[in-house]
Amino acid sequence: MGIPKRKLNVNLYPEKILGERRQELLEKITKSDTYLPETILHDDMDMGFLEYVNKNFKVVSNNVQIPIINKILTIQRWGEFTQNWSFSNEDGNMELPFVAIIRKPDVQYGTNPSVQRTIPDRYQFHYATVPTWNGTTMGADIYKIPQPIPVDISYEVTIICNRFRDLNKFNKKVLQRFPSRQDYTRVKGHYIPIVLDGIDDTSPMEALDGRRFYMQNYKFTMLGFLIDSEEFEVSPAVSRLFIMSEFTNENANMRKYQNKSLSLTNVNFTGNGTQTLYSVGESIGTLFGVSVNGVLQEKGNDFYHITYTHKITFVTPPPANALILITYYKGRNNVILDTYGKVIQVDKEVFTYTGSTVTFNVSNPISSVITLDINGLVEDEGSGYTVGEQSVTLLGYPVVGSVITVSYLY
Amino acid sequence: MNNKLPITRMSKFLSQDDFDLNIQMGEEYLHGDLNMKLVLYRVDRQKTENDDVYAEVGTDEIKYFPPIEFNGLVKIEEPKNVAYKTGLLRYLEPGNMTLSVYIKHLEELKIDIRYGDYIGYPESETRTRFYTVTNDGKVTSDNKHNMFGYKPYYRTITCTPVQDSSFRGV
Repeated sequence: MGIPKRKLNVNLYPEKILGERRQELLEKITKSDTYLPETILHDDMDMGFLEYVNKNFKVVSNNVQIPIINKILTIQRWGEFTQNWSFSNEDGNMELPFVAIIRKPDVQYGTNPSVQRTIPDRYQFHYATVPTWNGTTMGADIYKIPQPIPVDISYEVTIICNRFRDLNKFNKKVLQRFPSRQDYTRVKGHYIPIVLDGIDDTSPMEALDGRRFYMQNYKFTMLGFLIDSEEFEVSPAVSRLFIMSEFTNENANMRKYQNKSLSLTNVNFTGNGTQTLYSVGESIGTLFGVSVNGVLQEKGNDFYHITYTHKITFVTPPPANALILITYYKGRNNVILDTYGKVIQVDKEVFTYTGSTVTFNVSNPISSVITLDINGLVEDEGSGYTVGEQSVTLLGYPVVGSVITVSYLY
Repeated sequence: MNNKLPITRMSKFLSQDDFDLNIQMGEEYLHGDLNMKLVLYRVDRQKTENDDVYAEVGTDEIKYFPPIEFNGLVKIEEPKNVAYKTGLLRYLEPGNMTLSVYIKHLEELKIDIRYGDYIGYPESETRTRFYTVTNDGKVTSDNKHNMFGYKPYYRTITCTPVQDSSFRGV
């Protein structure tokens, strides 16, 4: 048995760095000024592959770097005939040696295991909750993105040259990047694997009297994924309102606000042709209207009501089977508070139509109109009249001399 | 081999004098009337150092003998529009050049044309195209290269165009 080593200050358990690393990766894919990942689409990956080849596959032949065509070659004629590459000769032909990159047009469903077949369909998933503050309100935005779509993009990097040694150099350069058959590149911050699928040689060796050159194809597959910012969703989460009150002394009177909704009570009766007194069964705080078969009755003329009592007394009995509607607010007094404790008051104003204008200005800014009637016939808001800040406007023209009565809250 | 075997066949119809006369008339037409001149760049295989493994040599590392002008009957095939890869990476270059050269003419110039030598053909005042010899035509045993079955009298040399990156004159 060996002698156990004396305990030294050796850190046997390395510091946990996974969290930091994840944060680092996250920052790389969100390089822009939002918290969302960068969009990555087909052309981004093509550009990423071009940059990868340009950076990693530099080979020098005859003291000159073998040029790499810095474009993905396509079948479009423009790309062939502009021949704007610096290594074209007088005839517009590319001088050997050179390296070209060709992408197979078909992009297949991807085999990248990290994004493959995890969840069926493409739902939006929670990505981040980002706090917001607009100066008065603190809240949060929910960022949602769909699952990235895995794609496999196949490329061929072709070297065309005259010398065997150039082939060897290029081959060494490529294989040094792929000791385990896979390498990585970063496209707009995203880590993308690249797999070397194989190498084949299509050199025209058999032509004795023709042009002879070496041509080797390195086949790669980029295991990419598509993330489209067009599909991102940003929606606000629940916002909270902070109301802060500050008092100058300890004995300040605090006003107690009540969360109270304004609820009006409607009570219906059916006339029998003889009865004149109708009771709603509770004290009427504020009486808004009494109508018989839709015709508004005038207090003091058609009926009588004593404030804070429960009775309505008609001057003449409403006809048999007449529909009697009594609308009132059953507060203890005629002061109504809204949900913030602000006092709501009731006013009723009467106008006579003179034929000059159908807009009638009231004395107070209108919070909401309770009733508007023309000669006792109730009009509906929207179809019979509209409400302005401190006015009502009829949408029709009544008979000159008509009496318009407006009851409203302010 | 210093011994020479005199050719006596066909002598009743074609003697050495007739043979020489025909060549003389041909040269008068080819060199005098047509006057198609070419420049031969012969590779100095002794001085050129090539690769130990692949026998390759860099573009600027090939050593040449002094260029020599010579005459020949030139035939150039029409150019072909071809591609390195299917449908992509096209190039358009002249077709192969075929030369017919009198053997006597080469002997008078004390030159030989061999595989790998370069030949320049000025297709205009400002543009010379270069070709490399891919078939030096040294074997002339066929009927076509023999005058009436008497003796070979010309060589057919096939050349392929080369790019400037391979050869651009000396």
